[in-house]
Amino acid sequence: MVVLAGGNIEVALSSLFLNPITLGGGIQQIFVRFVLFYTMGIGVGLALKAGLWNIGAQGQLLIGMVMVFVVYTFLASLPWPVLYVAMILGAALGGLLWIAVPTILRVKFGANEIVVTILLNVVAINFAFYMLSGPIKSSGTALGFPHSVELPAQFKIPNIISGVPITYAVPAAIVLGIILYLLVERTSFRVRANTVGESTETARYAGISIPRVMTITMLAAGALAGLAGATYLMGYRYELDIGSFSTNYGLVAIICALVGRKHMLGIGLASFFFAYMTIGAESMALSANVPTSVVFAMEGIMMLGILLGTYLTERRFAA
Amino acid sequence: MTIAVGDILAGIFSTTLTLSPFYLFAGMGEIVSEQSGVANMGLEGIMLMSLMSTLIVDYITGNPWIALLVAVGVAGVVGAFFGLAAIRVRMDQIASGLAIYLIGLGLSFVFFTTAYPSGLTPNYIALPPILENWNTIPYLGVVLLKQNILAYVSIIFVVATAFFLSRTSLGLRVRAVGENPKAADNMGVNVNKVRFLATLFGALMFGISGSYFAGNFVPGFQFDVIAGRGFIVLAMIYFANWKPYRALFAALSFNLVYAAQNEYVSLSGSGVASVSTLFNMLPYVFLLALIPIFGRKARVPKFLLKPYRKG
Repeated sequence: MVVLAGGNIEVALSSLFLNPITLGGGIQQIFVRFVLFYTMGIGVGLALKAGLWNIGAQGQLLIGMVMVFVVYTFLASLPWPVLYVAMILGAALGGLLWIAVPTILRVKFGANEIVVTILLNVVAINFAFYMLSGPIKSSGTALGFPHSVELPAQFKIPNIISGVPITYAVPAAIVLGIILYLLVERTSFRVRANTVGESTETARYAGISIPRVMTITMLAAGALAGLAGATYLMGYRYELDIGSFSTNYGLVAIICALVGRKHMLGIGLASFFFAYMTIGAESMALSANVPTSVVFAMEGIMMLGILLGTYLTERRFAA
Repeated sequence: MTIAVGDILAGIFSTTLTLSPFYLFAGMGEIVSEQSGVANMGLEGIMLMSLMSTLIVDYITGNPWIALLVAVGVAGVVGAFFGLAAIRVRMDQIASGLAIYLIGLGLSFVFFTTAYPSGLTPNYIALPPILENWNTIPYLGVVLLKQNILAYVSIIFVVATAFFLSRTSLGLRVRAVGENPKAADNMGVNVNKVRFLATLFGALMFGISGSYFAGNFVPGFQFDVIAGRGFIVLAMIYFANWKPYRALFAALSFNLVYAAQNEYVSLSGSGVASVSTLFNMLPYVFLLALIPIFGRKARVPKFLLKPYRKG
């Protein structure tokens, strides 16, 4: 692809694999993406266990980001630590409310959650744009695209070791993963979720409350995606602009959930892999002078490669 | 100030008819594909690839028909690749579809900016309207005659798809392999071949949609220019219960709502993005509201998303 676009293959390869760790800011970027992909990915994976496809992680992420600034703007009178926590919880609540719509439509009306979450992604972009160009717009926006204010220093998630750009969001995401692992994998909930995911018929015979399992997993997925938005804004970007809108991080999170086989640890490894490769691909695109959109294509190709690998290994063991 | 109600209504209907074909071609493609048991979630990626090729070929040849042909060909290649992955290799349809979307999203922009590094949009020569002097005929002109021929072809496609699925033996086979592939197989139907053909047909339709996008929606090409409109097709045909005529109704009503809010926003003179984006949400919310009403009785093809393995 790079060669097609007229790049130097050697430079391209070294930037793909080495630049993420050697280049300034690379490590920070890897961990920022890791937290994003992982937090969203475990939510998507959880819903997938119950057989539900949350294609709308991107929308919930956006709403989470918007909510950070909604809380920051409209509850500004709260004292600092309360507001800080409120911004994080607000993001989670935003994601949760956003996924409540497909959840209700699914549980009450049997409407397909794939379709509804896809629709809500488009609505989320419009809604975020509305909020950004009105209620949470920075008065500093004179010309050009609207953006929010930049968060003051006390609302930024601090680094663990000063000078090393890895924030507390990283351990927080891992702890969330462990909690979810303990709550889901180590209890009967795993069996219940899996049964609903495998066959609602069986679940019904087994006396499992299908609406309950569906509601819990979906709402958790939405809240986690919203939370991911808070980590991204408060831990890295600090302001919201339309550049954050068409990033497709939500789709990558779905890929991580699938590649990680819906397992909390597997999703972690997949998220790290994709975070690393995404940064590498971005740096490769820059050094080879190819538009960074090539990264999306590379993510897609990696995804197909992994699916193909799974198929080939399964076939070998089956034979 | 008097407001010309007739002109406003004509404008709304005209926009509705201009935008709908994009959803109709893709909708028919996805209906046939999904009826056979294969959901192609990569449709927007395929559309982006064909839109990109349409613009480039149109600029080089100056002939929108050749551009359309190339766009459909490109869509066919990507669609065949998806079909191979989802049917032959039995990859998860949603995962591989999203992968195709990402590939199309990324590559279309890379190719376009490689062809036009200046980032300038080439001149687009559109298909001619039905009648060159459409504006000489009041009301009817702008509504019916300003459209290009594809607008009418799209409606013919709806009728043809409905006929194909319910009245032809190949159409019945398409539905059979989506509904009960085992039984179809026992009756001697080559399940995966029929599925592949249905998927390919779907992709070709996405190609027409992608090509139609040029000149009728956003001018030129930007990153992510289709902006989710392709994915909306999935919602439309779900609401339409995989029935072509209901998809026609879904597409027309969705675009009617879109055109009405668009007209209202431009009439009210509030070029303020904040107001117009809020109204932009209306058609999607409208579609959402339809889902609990109509989607409730949705009868999904039984073997949708399930790969078939002989024996």
